[in-house]
Amino acid sequence: MTAPDLRVDLGRGLILPNPVGLASGTAGYGFELRQLIDVDRLGALFTKGTTLHPRDGNPPPRVAEVRGGMLNAIGLQNPGVEHVASAYAPEFSRWGVPVVVNVAGGNVEDYLQCLDRLERAEGLAGYELNISCPNIANGLDFGRDPAAAGRLVAAARSRTGRHLMVKLSPNVTDIAAVARAVEEAGADSVSAVNTYVGMKIHRGIRAPVLPGRGTGGLSGPVIKTLALAAVAEVRRAVRIPVVGVGGIMDAGDALEFLIAGADAIQVGTATFVNPTASLEVLDGLTEIATRAGVRRLRELRGPALPAMPPAGIEPASTG
Amino acid sequence: MSGPVSDLGRARDESGEVVAVEGLDGGMVEITARLPHLAATARPGEFAQLRAWGGVDPLLRRPFSVAWTAGELCSFVLEAVGAGTRLLVGLRPGDPLQALGPLGNGFPLDPVPVRAVIVSGGLGCAPFPLLVRELRRRGCADVIVLSGAATASRLYPAARFRRGEDSVRVVETTDDGSRGRRGLVTELVADACDETAAVYACGPNPMLAAVARTLQRLARPPRRAHVSLEAPMGCGFGTCLGCALPASGGGWFLCCRQGPVREVSEVDWPGLLALPPAHVA
Ligand SMILES: Cc1cc2nc3c(=O)[nH]c(=O)nc-3n(C[C@H](O)[C@H](O)[C@H](O)COP(=O)(O)OP(=O)(O)OC[C@H]3O[C@@H](n4cnc5c(N)ncnc54)[C@H](O)[C@@H]3O)c2cc1C
Ligand SMILES: Cc1cc2nc3c(=O)[nH]c(=O)nc-3n(C[C@H](O)[C@H](O)[C@H](O)COP(=O)(O)O)c2cc1C
Ligand code: FES
Repeated sequence: MTAPDLRVDLGRGLILPNPVGLASGTAGYGFELRQLIDVDRLGALFTKGTTLHPRDGNPPPRVAEVRGGMLNAIGLQNPGVEHVASAYAPEFSRWGVPVVVNVAGGNVEDYLQCLDRLERAEGLAGYELNISCPNIANGLDFGRDPAAAGRLVAAARSRTGRHLMVKLSPNVTDIAAVARAVEEAGADSVSAVNTYVGMKIHRGIRAPVLPGRGTGGLSGPVIKTLALAAVAEVRRAVRIPVVGVGGIMDAGDALEFLIAGADAIQVGTATFVNPTASLEVLDGLTEIATRAGVRRLRELRGPALPAMPPAGIEPASTG
Repeated sequence: MSGPVSDLGRARDESGEVVAVEGLDGGMVEITARLPHLAATARPGEFAQLRAWGGVDPLLRRPFSVAWTAGELCSFVLEAVGAGTRLLVGLRPGDPLQALGPLGNGFPLDPVPVRAVIVSGGLGCAPFPLLVRELRRRGCADVIVLSGAATASRLYPAARFRRGEDSVRVVETTDDGSRGRRGLVTELVADACDETAAVYACGPNPMLAAVARTLQRLARPPRRAHVSLEAPMGCGFGTCLGCALPASGGGWFLCCRQGPVREVSEVDWPGLLALPPAHVA
């Protein structure tokens, strides 16, 4: 048995050494997790959402556990792009793991200024445009409107030659339309999905647990089924690589995302439960590929998913 | 945000085994497990993220103070308040227990002996047996524990604060007067303090806020005063940013990294008291 080739070419120079990344917002900027696990073995590290100006984030409580998952309303707490570019990026260039900066903003100009500053920094493998953060006012607008998403990505495209990934929101009626719009606007890849909007009610105080509107982003195993459907739908809609994320706890879950059409995956909430989860996913996938005797990961995928539902079968609907 | 941060370089994820589960009065349980790394490295006021279940419900680990260490053994003191703690108190000797730690910044300790005033409210007792031992090791001759609870059965046993350090004084109060002095433990704080004292407090937020208020009014404030706080946690090691608590002067600090121990003046007390209760009824 020969060792499988785990590399994933996401395009425009971003070649991941393997398909397992750490999801944005679950690994900070890598500094803490590096003290706990060998982050350099991973395929990529997606940073916390980074904005033009520093953000303090939302008032507590910011996290709440629900059955099979968790809600978060962090509010994009981050030190701002200047700090990331000047203090963190030089560190990233010394690391073995490719670091992709997740970029968030309230309007197009914010995103562009953020990118302009990052463009002057070395040590970055690419960008993941977060057009889907549910926790700041207006954060969802780009993610919900294909035309607005397209305009943002076209503008971002004109500012960088680095890899440009776009993180899709699942809180939309037609995720495929947004995926197509960002592909046409020049995105190199898409990641799917961000968190689902959810709410937990505190029966004792007869109010939501999370403050403000009471909603937060739902993540963890409870969203895996939904995320798989979203990834499969995006896969059918675009030709660019798709990075799958949502509820991956182990290598079996990761394999399911590859089968649904993902080229690579991200491990998020699982890291909180088990800091080594991402490495275990990587080792598990490697073992699965080795045992299956495949040389390339994509051979694990099996037959392609049908582009259209077979005649006579209704598209999935509840009822 | 200033102040010491947790030393993640010492943290390790360990698969341990429960060796004893002791029920105390009033629903408190002390769980002892073989966790050699945690036992060898934990300092007073640090905590571990525990998991004693597979599957996804409960999902996240739960944070608990390291209450005691002996050889390869670590003890935790807790009570069943929700799904996770119910599973933990139901553990039996031989059951597996996963522990990530030590985490958190722990109590600051003076290189020279000080007068130590420990203020413990209910389950806030958890970090103090280890602290008492460390203070005594550092030569603190004068260690007093002010231990309060709603009623006698909910007081952490005085002998468990001391664990053989018989010179340590434990003064008890209960809200209903069923043991010790009737009243709130905070009422004893002023008398126990002088400018040579180092104060360490852990308990419900209203109690800690009362300690802070009391200390503020003292003509001769203690040399320093620290509180140990709680927040719901996602990770426990600084990556989720979920455990923010309000800092004096605005903004937040992360309970798991820049806490759980804070100097009293670093906490925005009105902000903390305005937070909703942690537990879902
Ligand atoms: C640093 C630290 C040290 C602690 N040490 C101890 C200890 O030694 N003994 C002890 O009995 N308890 C301790 N706690 C509190 C303990 O972690 C919670 O009671 C426990 O997480 C509740 O879990 P549950 O599943 O039983 O309750 P649930 O209410 O079902 O928990 C639901 C969610 O809320 C979170 N949560 C609820 N209440 C709290 C709380 N008060 N603090 C933090 N998270 C909460 C849980 O982590 C979980 O994610 C500590 C908390 C912190 C932050
Ligand atoms: C605490 C927390 C913070 C997050 N912050 C971000 C963020 O800043 N930017 C982003 O694009 N996604 C963020 N996410 C979403 C994750 O990257 C991921 O898309 C989502 O959690 C689903 O994956 P999971 O179920 O494996 O966690 C965050 C998720 C969590 C749990
Ligand atoms: S619990 Fe995740 S940052 Fe503190």
